[in-house]
Amino acid sequence: MTAISDPFTLGNKTFHSRFLLGTGKFASKGDLKASILASDAKIVTVALRRIDVDKNAENILEYIPEGVTLLTNTSGARTAEEAVRIARLAQAAGHGNWIKIEVINDSKYLLPDNEETVKATQVLVKEGFVILPYITPDLYIARRLVDAGAAAVMPLGSFIGSNQGLQTRAFIKTLVDEISCPVIVDAGIGAPSHACEAMELGAAAVLVNTAVAIADNPPLIAKAFAMAVRAGRSGYLSGLPAPKASGAASSPLTGFLFS
Amino acid sequence: MNIILNGKHRVVPEKTTLQNFVEQTVKNPDLVVAEVNGAIVDRVRWETTCFEEGMIIELVTFVGGG
Repeated sequence: MTAISDPFTLGNKTFHSRFLLGTGKFASKGDLKASILASDAKIVTVALRRIDVDKNAENILEYIPEGVTLLTNTSGARTAEEAVRIARLAQAAGHGNWIKIEVINDSKYLLPDNEETVKATQVLVKEGFVILPYITPDLYIARRLVDAGAAAVMPLGSFIGSNQGLQTRAFIKTLVDEISCPVIVDAGIGAPSHACEAMELGAAAVLVNTAVAIADNPPLIAKAFAMAVRAGRSGYLSGLPAPKASGAASSPLTGFLFS
Repeated sequence: MNIILNGKHRVVPEKTTLQNFVEQTVKNPDLVVAEVNGAIVDRVRWETTCFEEGMIIELVTFVGGG
């Protein structure tokens, strides 16, 4: 087996893909599966909801290929206690214990409650869960999450579903520079260029949902996102040159034809 | 017999087990998680868990999400 050249270690697993895909809002489940395959996403998010007892609907898991790690979010939770309850239910399903903590009590901006997220992380890490908390980027909160044993931190780029890109870029950069666990930019990534930028900043990975799900051609944009993530990662690893305030010629300043 | 299932009142036949009910209701019982009166009931115990009058049942499964 070939060694992964830029391994992405998260929890107790190693991945070669730094592109995570959300599974919400797809009009066609076939497009969802095709997008996962086209982008080679190896971690996808899902949610937990009450079954519709009067309708024997197919399950989303039927469209998620083998070998993909499920990351169940705690969407719907408004408090740490509700997030903990959802996490335990997810684990009882028997498909892993990787949880994205999402605690939201704001229906306008869908901003996460960072404090409740820390509390839920503290409880669930002790119970052996692999926890990826979704937060508004905040250095103090991120440090508390690292101390609590979070496997990564997931700062938002901009509001969920807004496609505004990295409005929080300065704060994402702060987390990349100051905390020791992987930083996965999640929410608001609306174009492959945004994903590339996140990776150039030093993010370990990105998570995209809306921009793929609502695209005219989800598998095509999913593939583009994956390429953008690889491009941004290579850019970061190469060492990006710093911007200059003035010009610097690229050809020698001697031997001109006209002097 | 009356139970509360997923937040709504429902009438179920006497002697219905959790196993019976889930099998009759969904295509993939393996993807369903059950909570009875606030406590998760592991799948291995569904066969021996009978609905009782006034029980509060939650049946959840995976759906798409970001």
